[in-house]
Amino acid sequence: MLSLGKRFLRQIGTASLASLGLLSATVMTEAGTLKVMFQGDPYEIQAISDAAKRFEQANSGTTVELINTPHDAYNEKFGSMASSNTLPDVIELDAPFLANYVWSGYLQPISGLVDQSLINDMTKSNVSQGTYPPDGKLYAIGLTDSTVVLYGSRKQLEALKIRIPKSVDDAWTKDEFEGALKALASSGVKWPIDLFRAYGTKTEWIPYAYEPILISMGCDLIDRAAWKATGALDSQACVDATTMMQSWAKQGWVVPQSAGQNQFYTEGRPAALAWGGHWFYAEASAKMGEDLVAMPLPKFGAKSASPNGTWIYAISKTSSDPALAGKFLSFMLTDKAYRESYKAHTGFPGLKSFAAESPTYADKGAMATAFEQASKSAVPRPPHPGYPTITLAFQVAMTNIFDGADPKTELAKAAKKIDDDIADNSGYAPFGK
Amino acid sequence: MSGSATIKPHAVKVRSTLLGLAVSDLVKASAVAIIALVIVSPLFLLLVASLKPDRFQILADMGSFRAFWVSDPSLQNYRDVATLDGSLPMGRYLINSMIILVITVCGGILINSMAAFVLAWGRIPGRALVLTLLIGLYIVPQESIVLPLLSLVTKVGLTDSFTAQILPWLASPLYIFLLYQFFIQIPQEIYDAAVIDGASPLRIYWSVFLPMSLPALATVAILLGIETWNQYLWPLMVTQTNWSRPISVGIASYFGHDSVYWNSAMAASVLMMAPVLLFYLAFQRWFVSSFISSAVKG
Amino acid sequence: MSSQMTSALPIARSASEGRRKKRNNRLQEVAMLLPACLLIALFLLVPFISSFQIALTNQRLIPRPVPTRFVGLGNFAQVLSDPEFWTALLNVVRFTLMILPIQCGMALALALLLNQKLPFRNFFRGVFFLPAITSMAVVCVIWATLFQYPAGPLNQILSFVTFGFAGPIDWLGDTRFAMLSIVLLSAWQAYGFQMIVYLAGLQNIPESLYEAARLDGANSWQRFWHITMPSLRQTHIFVLIITTIQAFKLFVQVNILTQGGPRGSTNTVVQYMFSAGFVDQRLGLASAVSIILFLIVLVISLVQRFVMRDRP
Repeated sequence: MLSLGKRFLRQIGTASLASLGLLSATVMTEAGTLKVMFQGDPYEIQAISDAAKRFEQANSGTTVELINTPHDAYNEKFGSMASSNTLPDVIELDAPFLANYVWSGYLQPISGLVDQSLINDMTKSNVSQGTYPPDGKLYAIGLTDSTVVLYGSRKQLEALKIRIPKSVDDAWTKDEFEGALKALASSGVKWPIDLFRAYGTKTEWIPYAYEPILISMGCDLIDRAAWKATGALDSQACVDATTMMQSWAKQGWVVPQSAGQNQFYTEGRPAALAWGGHWFYAEASAKMGEDLVAMPLPKFGAKSASPNGTWIYAISKTSSDPALAGKFLSFMLTDKAYRESYKAHTGFPGLKSFAAESPTYADKGAMATAFEQASKSAVPRPPHPGYPTITLAFQVAMTNIFDGADPKTELAKAAKKIDDDIADNSGYAPFGK
Repeated sequence: MSGSATIKPHAVKVRSTLLGLAVSDLVKASAVAIIALVIVSPLFLLLVASLKPDRFQILADMGSFRAFWVSDPSLQNYRDVATLDGSLPMGRYLINSMIILVITVCGGILINSMAAFVLAWGRIPGRALVLTLLIGLYIVPQESIVLPLLSLVTKVGLTDSFTAQILPWLASPLYIFLLYQFFIQIPQEIYDAAVIDGASPLRIYWSVFLPMSLPALATVAILLGIETWNQYLWPLMVTQTNWSRPISVGIASYFGHDSVYWNSAMAASVLMMAPVLLFYLAFQRWFVSSFISSAVKG
Repeated sequence: MSSQMTSALPIARSASEGRRKKRNNRLQEVAMLLPACLLIALFLLVPFISSFQIALTNQRLIPRPVPTRFVGLGNFAQVLSDPEFWTALLNVVRFTLMILPIQCGMALALALLLNQKLPFRNFFRGVFFLPAITSMAVVCVIWATLFQYPAGPLNQILSFVTFGFAGPIDWLGDTRFAMLSIVLLSAWQAYGFQMIVYLAGLQNIPESLYEAARLDGANSWQRFWHITMPSLRQTHIFVLIITTIQAFKLFVQVNILTQGGPRGSTNTVVQYMFSAGFVDQRLGLASAVSIILFLIVLVISLVQRFVMRDRP
């Protein structure tokens, strides 16, 4: 009986000691715990994990808790964390959604939290994708950015005596571009251009890759001053732009949606040109080597336009230690090994210092013109909280237009949908004021 | 007797053998093998791609017959992928999946079969209503309940746990209905005899019905096992770190935001199929004639 | 046979003891039914009911500063007046009608085949089940490459088999063929499921029935039609109802391969719901869609059960 009692007491004793230890441990970790939500390719996951470990070593007492969220359900995860008030300190997000998250009240400006030198290092394009128009403040930063270029085969173009532009200022005009398509078609090429419709009919690629054409021809998805879509998206300029794209498809010049994504470099090269992202360079050059040439996007109208935007890092408003979060970002984005990872995977630079370290994008590099676009023609997708609706409406419209529907009707429908959504959200104040 | 030419008397026929197997059997096996080959041939793409270490090569070969052929196969992808630690430990994800699988299947078989038994043979009122309600609930697509379920799980603090991945799927209308259909086929006499013997429902279920239902239980084990193994949307929402993440979600990381790492994704997918194939092969041995036929005769 | 049963409990000695035992038995039954019901109620019923409440509002995916409004049946009205929704509904009906015979027919045929005495039977059972084990994402990648237009493997085979007469088919991009392609790959991936259920069902048929029929001179077809098929009745009911419900929930392959296109020819109700709720972020609308789907399929299942009920 007594021995039982003693054993019982001993158990209580050990239990309380253990819980005390646990308590102190929790107190200790809460002092410097940073929660980071991110997504990425396998090499990025490795790079961030390693950088986080080094940060922990450099700042003893700090723990970095990494939440790896595959981008498949990113917004849903974000939404559920937001509604349960468990948002992490550092959040990676897809650039076009920045306005929506800031307007919804989840992020705080990073200026003052991230090293100023790093902020000054950002390219113009990078700054534009992280800025929130109503207050003009910077809410996000990233090492990388993105762009789309026109890929071609040097041999093929030279054989047809088609001029290869040397810089953004030198880009093809609309007539030159369509002339090239025609020449390629007559020369027996199966599809003069691959617009990567194979990525799908409901994908962010559609506004990302095709909006620059609209902007270049003088219109936009939405008026960025009054924030109204009707009058902008269904304006004559946009109708002309989409009619032009429809004509390419009608003439059989565009790779069909079910023909796969590798038609530009696969055996036989059925596609002559490719309207591809910077990431396409790696797979195309693996097969085409020196023959691959990256050209700036054509200047369809008065000015050149190219897309930008990728996954960037922001700090949540409810972060318990914003200063620490900023410190982490400053550390990671200047971390040598982290940068090396991205360089090895031809990451498109969003920081000027990173560009200087990347031979592919430097002056004589294969993708030099691509990087030029970042400072000369990059336009972010509309930084508006209603972007989810804008993108879906445009995707539907573009798909129908490629299938032969009347551009004016489709664009008007899309514009109405966008404006209806804005009205449904009371104008997304303070936008539209 | 007309048509005697079509009747082949068993005993008289001389069977020639090859490799100890009757020729007719070999012919049968070959025919089945050809059918199998045709039906399963698309999976060669998976296997072939997993043996190509260069992901750009896989990309270039897609969409043509080159996707079915590998010129110098290599196991490099498997070596890269099957790790137990690191940032994408497929090995660890595999183990997590197996833990979830075993617990879900064992628990699921018990819970679902108990419920099915009561619905089929119980005497409490309202069984028909419950069964109809259950079949109705099977209609609800997972996509429409994940978000409310996620907020429920978050409120209880169970995010990123094994529990959150097991508990919601232990009981399922589908398997209760399946077992119900099997249980109602068992002859009334068997149940009545057990009742006369004074057995309680639990005893009847455990000692009489379960042993007779091995094929049905195997079916549930296999189907529930595969469903659990391939669960994607829910674990994607509920896991945050590598702690309890299953391999179905782990593979999602190979589908990058700009391009897909086919070499690793394919190898990981093959790895993902191996355990559940063994699981299936083990359980399908239960597909043998049940005790019922002998019980009825006796 | 009663000697096989171990009588653990003595027969009731008095009426009251009999009543008490009866009550205990009923309590036991409730206890056996309870875990499943509790789990399903908590993890399936409750979330579904909460979506009823969401369906009456204009809630968004991500909480926002603008307060969520109650819109009554507004979402339902919007869905039911959207031609896209009705196209999606019609598509799933078409899909169901096409896939039932193909998938279940294939499953039954293979189950019969794999139930016979075959050399290497276990091995074959494994091989035929492989597509069912493969995750849908991988299946879609494989079939996308098979379906590739114009020079993918299937088109090349088609051209070979017809000596070049038939032109290549745009399997996933032609409105005439897209749904059929989805049916093909869905049947291929999932026939294993029904095959297993039929295999289990076949085990219940006593060999003595077949022996008797053989002695009576019945040929294989007659044995199949008069013994196998009727004995599989309960299995048929299960397969019919479940396959129908699964077919109505068609989503993953459409979402990956065609996103509902081309021109809505492969749009399904769940795809429509996903697009509204997760892409367009209108949670209220998506919840309304799921409720409408639930009601439609519930009616269909009830009708099926009624039609196939055991008549006295």
